[in-house]
Amino acid sequence: MYELHRIGPVLWEIPTSARADMRVPARVFADGALIEAIRADRSLEQLQNVATLPGIVEAALAMPDIHQGYGFPVGGIAATTGPDGVVSPGGVGYDINCGVRLLAAPFSAAELDDRRERLVHQISRDVPVGTGREGGLWLRGAALDAILREGPRALPAQAGDVSDHDLEHTESGGRLEGALPEAVSARARERGSRQLGTLGSGNHFLEVQEVERVLEPEAAAAYGLRPGQVTFLIHSGSRGLGHQVCTDYVKRMDAGLARHGIRLADRQLSCAPLSSPEGRAYLAAMASAANFAWANRQAIANQIRRAIGRVMGPRAAAQTRQVYDVAHNVAKLEDHAGRRVCVHRKGATRAFPPGSDDIPADYADVGQPVFIPGSMATASFVLAGRQGAMERSFATVCHGAGRRLSRTAARKGMDGGQLRRELERAGIVVRCASARGLAEEAPVAYKDVDRVVAVVARAGLAAPVARLRPLGVVKG
Amino acid sequence: MDGGRVHRWVEHTGELELELSAPTEEGVFADALDALRELLDEDDEDAPATESQRVSVSAPERPLLLAEWLGELVFRAEIDGFVPRVATDLTLAPDRLEATVEGRPGRPVHLVKAVTYHELRFGRDRDRWRAHVVLDV
Repeated sequence: MYELHRIGPVLWEIPTSARADMRVPARVFADGALIEAIRADRSLEQLQNVATLPGIVEAALAMPDIHQGYGFPVGGIAATTGPDGVVSPGGVGYDINCGVRLLAAPFSAAELDDRRERLVHQISRDVPVGTGREGGLWLRGAALDAILREGPRALPAQAGDVSDHDLEHTESGGRLEGALPEAVSARARERGSRQLGTLGSGNHFLEVQEVERVLEPEAAAAYGLRPGQVTFLIHSGSRGLGHQVCTDYVKRMDAGLARHGIRLADRQLSCAPLSSPEGRAYLAAMASAANFAWANRQAIANQIRRAIGRVMGPRAAAQTRQVYDVAHNVAKLEDHAGRRVCVHRKGATRAFPPGSDDIPADYADVGQPVFIPGSMATASFVLAGRQGAMERSFATVCHGAGRRLSRTAARKGMDGGQLRRELERAGIVVRCASARGLAEEAPVAYKDVDRVVAVVARAGLAAPVARLRPLGVVKG
Repeated sequence: MDGGRVHRWVEHTGELELELSAPTEEGVFADALDALRELLDEDDEDAPATESQRVSVSAPERPLLLAEWLGELVFRAEIDGFVPRVATDLTLAPDRLEATVEGRPGRPVHLVKAVTYHELRFGRDRDRWRAHVVLDV
């Protein structure tokens, strides 16, 4: 049990006095209704465990989309610093640099009109989805090394062009510094060797959307978004390569805990000092996997452009512009409040405010774009980072609506066939390989994304810029 | 339930949480394979095994050995498209498991990303062996 105090209109805290091993408080951004949903699972207990990590500063933080994970809760943020600060692979998660890329089409939903079903179908044919390795680019040896080191810049010609605009409009330019392919195991390379350019299963998806409402015109104009416009949202990550990198380093750090004198509340919080050989090796391997993920989303974006070209013509494909690409599972070294910290974002998105040096020049006046997918039948949001995020959340906001039901409970609520029919009745074209997978991601399994976004806005972490409604969805 | 083996999926908001129980330690490992097959073989549960693979994993303690065992089966499903059905000749040493796994080629729609160490347990409780593992999916 824990004491939970409301310390602001949308901020709650479990103080350090709640448990002897907590080094900092645990804080959650939520309103009254969301906090009740959050208390229904074990996510706050997991957040308290995060608050015990060596070198953690300020607070273990959670966004309103927090839900129970393993080790870290999903929607959790932890910043650690030296001399004894640690890096925890579980604080990033298995799907390293899982993230979201948004493309904006030059045509409107009205112009797409009766070609909508054809376009969704074409995307489902052109983008390999699902689980295994079929359909991805086959990369080995030096070609894979180059992807791990350089990200999308190293994609082979067959994956399509990579423009300067796309790279400039990708978090960290699509390349995390410090990547070392030799820090990635042979098994991880094997898992990634044929998966580049594939979507994956679980909660990964592609969505064709319409800008339903512009909520902040200045930022929307800077991002090139207008009412009625068609957008494409890509949600995927580093596939098996990233999963294996995390597996390898959780295991390696678990074996070294006693040597570093670290005791943990949960074995999945396995970690090592940032300055240790295994800490440095993990950061190098994680950066490599992050670069792989950016290359993966770039390859998928190019496949979507090809599909647009087939259905809407080559001019429409060429004019489909990348708005931005954000990671929501990553650890990064950043400067906050005058100190260098390692910010773990596990199901949480970086959100720099206007004026930041680390966002594209054309967005400097409005802040970094953040994309918040809802669920298949509900809205997604485009947000812009605000100064409050720098002051209160290590420049971080939420990453989605956040699950509220288990996969089993979601399946009990509605079978995949029934859900498909309901989505189609709502005018949403669905392409999904698995009825079970569809049911597990049913809208009922997720929190209310409007409420989650409202909390983030009330907290001053980000401003809602546009609301997007789904026209079609492709799932693995 | 098979040979006194029981596995149960526990409600978990984001991932898959699995409880295993069997009269023997070997039974727990066989039970883990049964549960994984249930996940991977959604559409073709009655398909016969047509090939076999030899699996050998090692770890210094039983909970980690369970994670290694499941991790190896997940890897082979993803990379080789090998859907496991049953383990034969499963032998345990203090730090090692060896088995012949019979299965079939397939393209599982659902795969497991990873086997986590979150609340990973393996131990004896009265007259049964019990384990607990959370899978990232």
